[in-house]
Amino acid sequence: MSQNHLFSSGLELANLVVSSGVLYHSWAAVRDLYSEINQNEQPSLSVRYKISQQPNCTTIAFFTWSACSKDYIIQGGGGEDLVSSSTLKESFPLFEFLCTKTNPKFSINKAALELFASIRDSLPSLKSQIDNSKVLIITGKSLGGSVATLFTLWLLETIDFSITKRPLCITFGSPLIGDNGLQNAILEYPTWNSCFLHVVSDQDPVPRVLISPHNPPATESASQTNVYKPFGTFLLYSEFGCGCFKDSQTILELLMATYSEGPGNQNSNQVLELYKKIVEFLNRKVICGDTTGLLQWTTPPLRAGIIIQLVAIGLMRPQPQGQNNGLDNLITKIEKQEMELVMSKGLGFNPSKTLNEIKINMAFFEWYKKCFKEKGIGYYDSFKNGSSQTDIEVVKFKTILAHYWEGEVNEAEKKPQKEGAPFRTGWLGAGTNFRRMIEPLDIAEYYKKGLKDYINQGRPKHYKQLEQWLKVTEKTASNPSQLKKQNVASSLTEDSCFWAHVEEALISCKLLSSRESSTGEKELSKHNLIEFENYVLSLMKNYAVSPEIFLPQSSFMLWWKEYEEIIRKGIMGASYYSPLTDLMKNRSYQNYATGDLEIP
Amino acid sequence: MASLNLGENIEIDTELIKKAYSLAVKAHSKSSEKAYNVEESRRSSDPVIFSFSGCWSENGWYDGEPFGVTEINLPLLFPSLRSIGVNENALVNKAFLQRFVDKILGNSDFDREVQKAVKKNKQILFIGHSSGGSIANLATIWFLEKYIKPEYNYKISPSSPLCVTFGCPLTGNHIFSHALRRENWSRYFIHFVMRYDIVPRILLAPISSIKLEFQKVLQFLNAKSVNLAHASIDNFDASNFYMKVMKNASSVASHAACNLMGNTNLLLETVSNFIPLSPYKPFGTYVFCTGNGKLVILRNPDAVLQLLFFSSQLCREEECTDIAQRSLQQHFGYDNELQDCFQMLNEVHLEPLEQLPLSSDTTSSDIATINSALNDLGLSTRARLCLCAAGELEKRKIGNKESIDLKKPDIEKAMKYLEEDYQLNCRHRDLGCYDAFKLQETSKDFDANVKRLELAGIWDEIIEMLKRYELPDAFEGLRDWVLLGTRYRRLVEPLDIANYYRHLKNEDTGAYMIRGRPKRYRFTQRWREHAERMPAESSGESCFWAKVEELRIKISSQGFEPIKEEVLLLEAHVQNWINLGELSGDVLLEKSTFKKWWEDLPREHKLTSCIKDLKVRKAVTEKKQILFTGHSIGGSIANLATIWFLEKYLRSDSPDNYKISPSSPLCVTFGCPLTGNHIFSHALRRENWARYFIHFVMRYDIIPRILLAPVSSILLEFQRVLQFLNENP
Repeated sequence: MSQNHLFSSGLELANLVVSSGVLYHSWAAVRDLYSEINQNEQPSLSVRYKISQQPNCTTIAFFTWSACSKDYIIQGGGGEDLVSSSTLKESFPLFEFLCTKTNPKFSINKAALELFASIRDSLPSLKSQIDNSKVLIITGKSLGGSVATLFTLWLLETIDFSITKRPLCITFGSPLIGDNGLQNAILEYPTWNSCFLHVVSDQDPVPRVLISPHNPPATESASQTNVYKPFGTFLLYSEFGCGCFKDSQTILELLMATYSEGPGNQNSNQVLELYKKIVEFLNRKVICGDTTGLLQWTTPPLRAGIIIQLVAIGLMRPQPQGQNNGLDNLITKIEKQEMELVMSKGLGFNPSKTLNEIKINMAFFEWYKKCFKEKGIGYYDSFKNGSSQTDIEVVKFKTILAHYWEGEVNEAEKKPQKEGAPFRTGWLGAGTNFRRMIEPLDIAEYYKKGLKDYINQGRPKHYKQLEQWLKVTEKTASNPSQLKKQNVASSLTEDSCFWAHVEEALISCKLLSSRESSTGEKELSKHNLIEFENYVLSLMKNYAVSPEIFLPQSSFMLWWKEYEEIIRKGIMGASYYSPLTDLMKNRSYQNYATGDLEIP
Repeated sequence: MASLNLGENIEIDTELIKKAYSLAVKAHSKSSEKAYNVEESRRSSDPVIFSFSGCWSENGWYDGEPFGVTEINLPLLFPSLRSIGVNENALVNKAFLQRFVDKILGNSDFDREVQKAVKKNKQILFIGHSSGGSIANLATIWFLEKYIKPEYNYKISPSSPLCVTFGCPLTGNHIFSHALRRENWSRYFIHFVMRYDIVPRILLAPISSIKLEFQKVLQFLNAKSVNLAHASIDNFDASNFYMKVMKNASSVASHAACNLMGNTNLLLETVSNFIPLSPYKPFGTYVFCTGNGKLVILRNPDAVLQLLFFSSQLCREEECTDIAQRSLQQHFGYDNELQDCFQMLNEVHLEPLEQLPLSSDTTSSDIATINSALNDLGLSTRARLCLCAAGELEKRKIGNKESIDLKKPDIEKAMKYLEEDYQLNCRHRDLGCYDAFKLQETSKDFDANVKRLELAGIWDEIIEMLKRYELPDAFEGLRDWVLLGTRYRRLVEPLDIANYYRHLKNEDTGAYMIRGRPKRYRFTQRWREHAERMPAESSGESCFWAKVEELRIKISSQGFEPIKEEVLLLEAHVQNWINLGELSGDVLLEKSTFKKWWEDLPREHKLTSCIKDLKVRKAVTEKKQILFTGHSIGGSIANLATIWFLEKYLRSDSPDNYKISPSSPLCVTFGCPLTGNHIFSHALRRENWARYFIHFVMRYDIIPRILLAPVSSILLEFQRVLQFLNENP
């Protein structure tokens, strides 16, 4: 089979953006706001905004007087300054949620941030006017676009993507807004990144102003602290058409390469006119064929797609022969980046296949558990003793499984809590099964090392998280059904930390019978043991614990022997009686495995 | 006689096409009078041609916002128009469907005339111009759904039935197109489209966007259909209409192209939320007329969609008014154009699409023809890339299918283990597979569990691809996969059910059938139901155990009476499934969950139950020696029972694998009357079955001789003899 060809769809995407009409729509919103203000107000430093409601769309446009020129940003009092997230935390904590463990800090352009902060008090009322049943466009030009970006970013935290359509933030000629920390925070969630579209004309200096020369794309060695990075999709425009780009390195290079000096400083009106021309031109052009005749017919589709995009954004002139004006390097670079994107998206990757492979490992554990049940010891204690060949093999399988689920839990956690339903039922079911089956082995390893207090000090995060997610979905438990009782022999203990409780109880027994323990320790131990009794009894009542705990060589029975001794000595008090001790003494626990034990 | 070669061995007489066009236009121009016309010449070799008229009113196109589509939910008329596994019905233009159902099927003459043609085994053509073409599409599908059944004895050939349309609007959505390709029916549809004809593109735009101009355009087209020369339309309206339709077509094409190209930017989804995208998708063979005598032929639906947009794009903005006028005029220009084309017969096949030349100034000779045809349609590099991507996607689907086919041996191997080793092992333990697996007592059960999971991995992967339409459209109709899926389902689903109830997943997730049943079984069940034209949800034999488990739970909580109906239904199913060999007889073993549960049912119920007599089946399953015996007439019944048994269980494909030996089965009779004639006897000896029958006869016992006398000769005494025999047992 011949190798599959890849394609570059940037041109088609750009075309869809244009033909969908969102560009024109948002430009018109900015224009309306501008003409409204222009008639009534003198230029000031404040931010203006306007909400307009259409039958199925809400549009919010932002406008700022300042900074239509690149001079403002550079000279107007440290326009390229960044504010870091740690500073923000104290003064303006709206973007706290962007900090994660993998990406602890980020910085935002100071000028943009100050403008956004100036409308802080109006944010709640603005938000209340957003109707979740409608689609939402947020837009602005130049620094107005920066405010629109920050506003959208702030919205993302609270949007439930499973019930609300994603908003679309369209900026016209806005400068870059944040560093690579901000970029990473947004790229982490592809849906967030897909909410931003930045339109840039080849004649507009403003969107490029924070790149050069402070941010030379070629040298990565420059200090990372003051480096602006793009995110979202960039729609680059020239008189030949437009193209869409997503890769940040490509965007930086193309932004610089496509700039053709236009009239220097411009006022708001001129910038609006510039983008008006663009929007109208693109609108007309969308049903016209392009005339690109500069390809050799053997060019592979991916490369061909990139070349015609570069033509569209004005980097290459239509020429008869395959001369690429020395842009071969650039083309090859973009080609490589596009390929990586496709690969990382993972054509043909299938999560359910991996899950099934993991389930095969689980089947092995089921079998392991069963074998030791027959030997009268239970897999928990067998593993703790670590005596047989199988136990060593188990470690291998356990590592594979733990690795898989740690990864899965991390991935699931990374997704914003509300981005779609967290997981499918089948996935969580498999996770729960894993937790109940494997966690006892982690507990065994933990106590074998002589450590204490597994639940608070030793429990791995993925177990906690899996348990937490199950609790969210689970309905309240009712009394155990007849079938559950009959089936108890083959079920797993529901509380995967059961054995940690047993180990703690054993420790309490030791403290209680030891002469060196203080009275305080002894009282605490007594208390803990009574707690433990109640805990076990309630599990048995619900048939939530596996009958394997009653196997003669299990740690639980070991505990009982010691505890029985303690009671016999009267340490728990004279003629100590409890429902559990009664069950154990008269051996009625033997009826538990068959489902015949009734606990009132 | 010239003919047009459409590829895939389909050729049509050009005269026939020309005739079809004139008939189609004729039918359409008299739209208000008759919904269809029949043309039948006396020569028996000539085809019968049904031509359909369309409609020139707005709500005859758009019945409802935004695109006037409706879900086809007519399982009797159009059982195939859906996606089988994902269980989703196709969407179709509501107004066209309504018109077809009301005006065509509602007219009993139509079906009568079709039947007449079918009886004579004539070539049948369904044709239409403009929206009449859509009616012809539906008529053809209706015909295929109905007359493909063997009882009609109609010979479906590549040239009959045929559906030929001219300037036909789109009719259905992607599932519509998918279903026709799955059934291998799309080859019966041939659509002629002029390069600029706007009509095949109209439904790519939502009605809201073209409301202002559409009425005027329809008036113009209607006037033109009555009198070709005297109709005109304002330039302004024509241009607006053209631009709006094309802008929407552009959105649809770009959106589709992004997906064809494996777009990785999620902005695509975000933007798609802001515009209504037309759901329509082409199907069948498209013949594009370039306008200078060439015909460009292609059948890849994705590519056709791209071409519908790109071929009628403007080259320069200035030509807008001109092209807009042409886009309306050309709707009636097929006769002249086809005349030219058929003189040259210069047809170009665009497939394989992924090898199209990307640049228009290619000189290499072998692709020069294709290149000049692409130039004639005005296709830029961008357009060509989109076509390539469509071809590439199809190629990738075929590649996926090949890689799945490579896994077949793995599937077979794992299934063989379960079918043979594991089943045998369970039998040794007097257990059926279900119960053995549920108990998980031996290492064999562990092995079986691993096999189950390996198989699940492979099948889940297939299902995942089907859900994303990443396999060729034909896949769900492939006989070998349907059969394999059915075998897999019957064999392994019981194990999944056992696992489910063993881990009590019903307690926290819910009943298996509702919450727990994996898609791999839901899909494969629907494959079979579709392939064998069974009613939906009627092939549930593999879920037998889930039903048993749920009934057990219900009875234990509610008692027998409230769910008696359900029990009766299950019993009836069991009887049927066992008789058809769809359910293994091991369900009747003494230790089976089913048997134990059934034995606990109330005695009165069991006495009248329809499955109390499935004993033979049980004996077969347990591989016991089987004896049929009878005295007197009972002996004759025993004879028949033995023959029935041999016929049923001696078949090599019997699922029970019962070993016939000289001592089993045996039929032993005492004083048995004669049972069959010389052919009866001959047949039993031919099959070498006579040896299974042993008849004991006393020297003077009259009964074995009775049937040698005609009843008339013994009428008087026979009654008394029988009475005597009856009274002295």
